[in-house]
This record gives sequence, structure tokens and C-alpha cells, in this order.
Amino acid sequence: MFDTVEAFYRPGSVREALRLLQDGKNRARVVAGGTDLVVEADRSIRFLIDITHAGLSYIRRKDKACVIGATTTMAAIENSPAIRALAGGILARAAATCGSVQIRNMATLGGNLANGSPAADTASVLLALDAEVVLADAHGRRKIPLNEFYSGLRKTKALIVEVAIPAPPRGGRWSFQKLGRTENDISLVNAVAGLQLDSKGRVKWARIALGAVAPTPVRAVHAEKLLVGRQVDESALAEVCDEAAREARPITDVRASAGYRREMCRVLVRRALEECAAGTGCSL
Amino acid sequence: MKTMEVRLNVNGEAKQWTIAPGDLLLDVLRREGYFGVKRGCEAGECGACTVLLDGKPINSCLMFAAQAEGADVLTIEGVAHGDTLDALQEAFLDHGAVQCGFCTPAMILNAKALLDRKPHPSEEEVREALAGTLCRCTGYRKPVEAVLAAARESAR
Repeated sequence: MFDTVEAFYRPGSVREALRLLQDGKNRARVVAGGTDLVVEADRSIRFLIDITHAGLSYIRRKDKACVIGATTTMAAIENSPAIRALAGGILARAAATCGSVQIRNMATLGGNLANGSPAADTASVLLALDAEVVLADAHGRRKIPLNEFYSGLRKTKALIVEVAIPAPPRGGRWSFQKLGRTENDISLVNAVAGLQLDSKGRVKWARIALGAVAPTPVRAVHAEKLLVGRQVDESALAEVCDEAAREARPITDVRASAGYRREMCRVLVRRALEECAAGTGCSL
Repeated sequence: MKTMEVRLNVNGEAKQWTIAPGDLLLDVLRREGYFGVKRGCEAGECGACTVLLDGKPINSCLMFAAQAEGADVLTIEGVAHGDTLDALQEAFLDHGAVQCGFCTPAMILNAKALLDRKPHPSEEEVREALAGTLCRCTGYRKPVEAVLAAARESAR
């Protein structure tokens, strides 16, 4: 299937990987878990650069913040005590739904983002966590917010080396809601909520992120704004979920119609916010 | 066609094979005679091509053979102990968990990886471990029962 490939490289460092990527011009592709790249079967590939030995498989906790190397597998994320302790374990939860056991042993966090799918399970969680992506190219490294990464995805020639998650707000409540045909299936829609409440139960800080309802994973920023300063009561829920569904820009494809996705967006955001308010959301 | 060498261990035996840089692990294993590694969907959906790579189940249809350099690969051919079947293989026979047999190597390898890590799993953990292997004959009940029985057997 990949009989046009002329060389397979296994660089031992990011520097070497970048040099190979540059030398290969547009005919070199980076591979890690391979779970997207192999299925895509792009016949223009001449050089494969396997970055799984470039020192990018790690999870490091820095106080309440966390950095994750790009080639860290979903299985490693799902089982990491540091990730399970972060924001109720919401990222571990998302990683655990990201395909079968076999896929999770192969698929990497960097790959989940680089593939650019709007249904990437970890992406909506990372958006809600205000994560940043560290990119490397010949000029050095730079850190950009995840939403900026998505808007420039098709233009960038850089390599994702790390995902940085800042310390989540104190006492944050989190929920990850995913609708798929089975537990391990791709998301038809997913929704993530993060809330911080004040002593009177009013929302001090809110994050709502949506997957598979727009060209990229997105935050429902208007819905978030509507929620701040209010109790999470029936009227707030109805208004906020309507707003989130309005912010969604779903398409119809083989998995679901646009109308169904929009409606499920409303349902999942409600469930996520209800779980956060009740404190019954993510806690692994 | 450009070629390269890959060195790996398969079922405990050191191998050095000449491969093309774009060869997938599934194709190389079958070319070398490991026919227990099944070619199913070739898209990571059905799990029939599962092998254990350093003890962990992976879909060999999604991995380049060059990525297995230095790795320990276990296929179904390496699960029995000489002429004696592994407890999992015996349990699959005892429980009628095999019909056409196409998914059986993957079921057993996934179950083995689970039991090696967790000798006494819950039924839910067994179901989770088998969830990446599609069976179109018997369904999943008998394989799940077989894995649980093998786990009980090893406790004795």
C-alpha cells in the first residue's frame, strides 16, 4: 500500500526529525501511532519519519499544571496518575474512549491533534482546559493556544512536540459527554464543561467545548458568557444550551445529520452542566 | 524498490528480515508465514490482525514493519507451550468460543495481554479488552466466559 515510500527514518531527537522533515520537502510525513496516517494511505509519501524515539513520550506534572509529550499514547494518558488527578481526570476519561485497546496503545496525543479531526476526543477537553500546543520548526519552539493551532492547521509546517495544560481553577468541576454508537466509537458529538462556582453557587468561571459539530473542535464562548454570574438553574440551563446549539455549525455526514448533531449538542451540554453543578462529573 | 533490514523478536526467536520501508507489519508477518495474524479490514476497525508488541496489543495493519525494530512480537503461533495449549486456548475450546476462528487469535492475544497485566479481571474489564476485536459468528458471550474461566483456572 505504501510502495512509493523510499526511506523510513527513526530520529532520536526533535532536531534530527526537523532536519529530515525539511530535507524531505513536501514528500516527507511524520508518523507516530500510524492510526490515522496508515488509513489515509497518501500515495505521495516518499519519506516516513517515525518520531516515537525522539524523546517525546512523557507526562510531567508541574505543581497543578501538566505537560504531555506529543508521542504519549492514549493508553499512557488514560493510566497516568498525574492526568487522572488533573481536573477530575477528564483528559484520562476522553483518552479512554479514543478507540479500542489496540488503538489506544498506538494512537498519540500529538497525532489526535495533528490529524485535525473535529471529532478528536482529546481536543475538546484540551480546549476546555485552556491547553497550549508547543510547536517546533527550524527557527525554534513556540507555544500557541490550541484554538489558534486549529485555525492555522493546514498552513503550519511545524512539528507538535508538547501539549501544555495550565493549572485548572481551584475547585473546578468537570464533565465529559460523548455520544457514539459504542463506548469506543468516534464521537457523533461530544461536549465538555468546566465550572467554578462561588460560595453562593454562582458561576465564577465557565468553559464549554464542543466536538464534531464544527470544522474544528470549538469553544461555545457565548454560551460560557451567558452562564457567568448566574446560578445553574433551569432558566440558565435552557438559555445556555440553546446558545451552545446555536454556536454549533454541524454538517450532515454518514454518521449523523446536522439537525441531529445540533440537537444532541444541546442535550450533551445540558448533561455536562448538570453534572458539574451537582458535582457528579468527572472524578476518576 | 528500496529495501531495509529490520531486527526483531517474534515468539521468542530473533529475526532479521529485509523489508520495504513502507511495508506494514501485518504484511511482513504474513509473508514470513505467521498466518495466525489475520488480514481483516486493514483499517484498524476489526482487530483481527492483533499482535502483542512488547506485551501490548496493537493492530499490525496500522503499524509500519520498520517501527517494530528491536521489539518483542507475540503472535498466536507463540502462545502455546510446545504441544501444550495455553490455558486461554483450552478455555476457548471448552466454552465453544470458537466458530469460524478468524477473530480467535486476536481475542486470545487481547485476553492474554489483559491477564498478564491483571490476572483476575472483572467481566467488564474482559469485555473492554475484547472490544477491539469484532466477531461475526458466535458473538462475545462465549469468549468472555472463556477468558473469565481461564482467569479462574490460573488462580488454582
